[in-house]
Amino acid sequence: MSLFTLGIARGLLGQVLGMVIGMLLTCAVRILLGWEAWAAEPAWTVGSVCSIIGFLLGVGSLDDWLKWTKGIPTPMHHGPPVDKPAWTRYFSVDYNHKVIGVQYTVWGILLLMVGGTVAMIFRTELARSGLQFLGLDLYNSFIGMHGMIMIFAILLGVGGMGNYLVPLMIGAEDMAFPRLNALGFWFNVPGSILLLLSLFIGGWDAGWTAYPPLSARGPIGYQLFFLGVFAIGLSSIVGSLNLLVTILRMRPPGMSLFRMPIFCWAVFATSLLQLTATQLIGTSFLMVSVQRALGMGFFDPRGILGEVSPMVGGGDPVLFQHLFWFYSHPAVYIFVLPGLGIVSELLPVFSRKPLFGYKWIALSSMAIAILGFIVWGHHMFVSGYNDILRIPFMYATLLVAIPTGVKFFSWLGTMWGGKIHFDTPMLFVLGAISVFLIGGLSGPILATVPTDFPLHDSYFIVGHFHATMFGGFVFPFFAALYYWFPKVTGRMYNEKLGKIHFFIMTPAFWVQTLGQMGVGVMGMRRRIADYDPTLGGGQIENWQMAVTIAGFAIAFGVMLMLWNFFQHAEVGVAAGDNPWRSRSPEWQIPSPIPEHSFPAPVRVVGEPYDYGLADSGYVTTASTGDD
Amino acid sequence: MANNRRHFIIATVLILICTVLVYWVLDTVLLKPAAAVVEAGPIDNLFDQHIWLIAFLFALVVVFMCYALIAFRARGDEGDGEHVHGNGLLEILWTVVPCFVVVYFAWISTTMLLDLTRPNPDEYVVSAEGRQWSWLFTYPENGAVTPELVLPVDTPVRMDLTSDDVLHSFWVPEFRVKQDTVPGMVTHVRFTPNVIGEYVLRCAELCGTNHGGMLATVRVVSAEEFKLWQSEQLAQLQE
Repeated sequence: MSLFTLGIARGLLGQVLGMVIGMLLTCAVRILLGWEAWAAEPAWTVGSVCSIIGFLLGVGSLDDWLKWTKGIPTPMHHGPPVDKPAWTRYFSVDYNHKVIGVQYTVWGILLLMVGGTVAMIFRTELARSGLQFLGLDLYNSFIGMHGMIMIFAILLGVGGMGNYLVPLMIGAEDMAFPRLNALGFWFNVPGSILLLLSLFIGGWDAGWTAYPPLSARGPIGYQLFFLGVFAIGLSSIVGSLNLLVTILRMRPPGMSLFRMPIFCWAVFATSLLQLTATQLIGTSFLMVSVQRALGMGFFDPRGILGEVSPMVGGGDPVLFQHLFWFYSHPAVYIFVLPGLGIVSELLPVFSRKPLFGYKWIALSSMAIAILGFIVWGHHMFVSGYNDILRIPFMYATLLVAIPTGVKFFSWLGTMWGGKIHFDTPMLFVLGAISVFLIGGLSGPILATVPTDFPLHDSYFIVGHFHATMFGGFVFPFFAALYYWFPKVTGRMYNEKLGKIHFFIMTPAFWVQTLGQMGVGVMGMRRRIADYDPTLGGGQIENWQMAVTIAGFAIAFGVMLMLWNFFQHAEVGVAAGDNPWRSRSPEWQIPSPIPEHSFPAPVRVVGEPYDYGLADSGYVTTASTGDD
Repeated sequence: MANNRRHFIIATVLILICTVLVYWVLDTVLLKPAAAVVEAGPIDNLFDQHIWLIAFLFALVVVFMCYALIAFRARGDEGDGEHVHGNGLLEILWTVVPCFVVVYFAWISTTMLLDLTRPNPDEYVVSAEGRQWSWLFTYPENGAVTPELVLPVDTPVRMDLTSDDVLHSFWVPEFRVKQDTVPGMVTHVRFTPNVIGEYVLRCAELCGTNHGGMLATVRVVSAEEFKLWQSEQLAQLQE
């Protein structure tokens, strides 16, 4: 079997060819214009655009559509490829949502490891004051790299959970648009490769937020960064459209919106945000890209003072921040809503009790999504926009606490009076609640402008958002991995190793996040490679050391989890169809799930979370209906 | 139901104890920099109220959660819990009550913010310009330009902030307040230093390679010393 029977290998070749063709094209145009043939920035920019297209053509995710333009029929193929080993489907274009879900998840975990490694490197640097082994520019590239890689990883994790679980949970055969689904995944690969490549052609030093004017003057790496993010953004848009249509149109008869598994509500709210907000970050980054490449001064108040074209800019740096945060605040809810949905989904199973206040939890997700659109100004409280407008943004931001509180209290209501089991997924759900609580409670102090002044852009923010990201995504994502691992592989992971992972990672994370907040209160700024050792009465170094050690403990815990999965995916104990005694549709069918998930159309016969109600079921599939 | 009442009484007592404990821990471990401006008073006070709120809410959720985990653990029982779908009154209660807390905090923060940004006819104006990676201060009354910021004690100050290149941010941790400097526009920040001493101005907006090292000395001096310093500057200017 040749390597190039794998779609991903053809895609990578296509990406390289695309890059070369784009560069040659640029040179040709420049020669025609009578300019010097080679100019690095335009060559890499056009090359990057072509490399994304090259990858998509190479991997074959555009094949069917291209055939349609020529009138060639493309019947939907089910099952593994006919003339290749079954595992190859995971490395090529495949239209089954279960394969795509795994592709998303695995690629997300890979990026999580890259982003985590980068974090460990600069966390080691920060353990002591002074510069130990990282240069200032490399440090700046690393913090931005860590941020953006992790955002990619989270979006992929969210995509993985949504794609794998939503069709199963609503008893659908597949997603509404399988081809679009595959395209949505494959955008991520060239996008993340461009991002990683950017580190090697100069990097970028303005952090993941890439505020101009700084990002408009930095190294060429920025262009690859911007275009990489653009590709991921396209993935978000087509992926969320697909999920929305699937949820709205493909539910079985009887499954009203308020009878869906609660995770589907979370995905619905997240997808609404993704579909409508992602364009703004794409636009803002594209505008900086064009400002750099063509000299349009969107965000430059004075114009480009380069030697090529002394144009007048007439732009505004603050405008960029508005455009950027109009996506990037909702983005936070895109990351956490599915995670909070996982918490709501798993709590009833392990508490053996109905979800407390289903409608309130469902609608709180929608409330958070809607409020998410009118709070972007709190990222800019000290940016210099209209002083008075800070007040409505403050009110709106504080209001987010209310639907979030509803979720917490409803979770407590779910556990109260239950019969609680402490399997690894449940432990991670409890960890998620404790960590998201820390993240949530450190929010209002940042929302009220006077207390935001000392904390804005300090390390306190770093602690705050790591707590929300870990509580809202990482812990629930790990809970989901442990919980659905037996469904995906048909095998059980090692419970003891899972528990060790939990008991290492959770306390370590508390130390890390509280330590980060602590050094921020002392007066340490974020995004600095070296800090004043006299801060906090000379105690800051001890805190930093504690944070670094905690960071390594977390990394160790994650490695343990991956090793656990790797070890047991093929040789673990057979898990059985429904080890958690869940009522959800995906647990009523065999593990691993066959190519066609449900043997017959699913019928809804009850409520999703009626634990404790004797002789009740949620759905019937043909196989269980005959019992 | 009687059983539930007993649970709630125990949980309430634990919450009160836990609240005080968490407040004490946070108050001990969160080491704020010394305060050197009048404005730090109300800001630190609001900070303290937030810490109380955090301590209470943390205790509320964690006590109920841990209590439920212990009291309602499965004990090897494969059965199910109570078949309860929710409680409308409780849901309304924990939606409406937090609204009042939100409005309270938003309201006191609004009045405080208006106080912090209100122009004062007697304010002393100094311009600051951020540049990669240093600060330059201009005193409009005599045109003196210095790399260190010298301010008279007990005088309301307004800083007019600009930038020569990229975004920077004006922040002296002891002064609490913070404001970005933006190329192409003038932003303002107001404070009244009330403690004589030497502080460090630290750029708080990522501005490139040496962002971390973009510092400037800030000296708050007595009125007499400030006059002396001004005349020195003037003499230097005339040379």
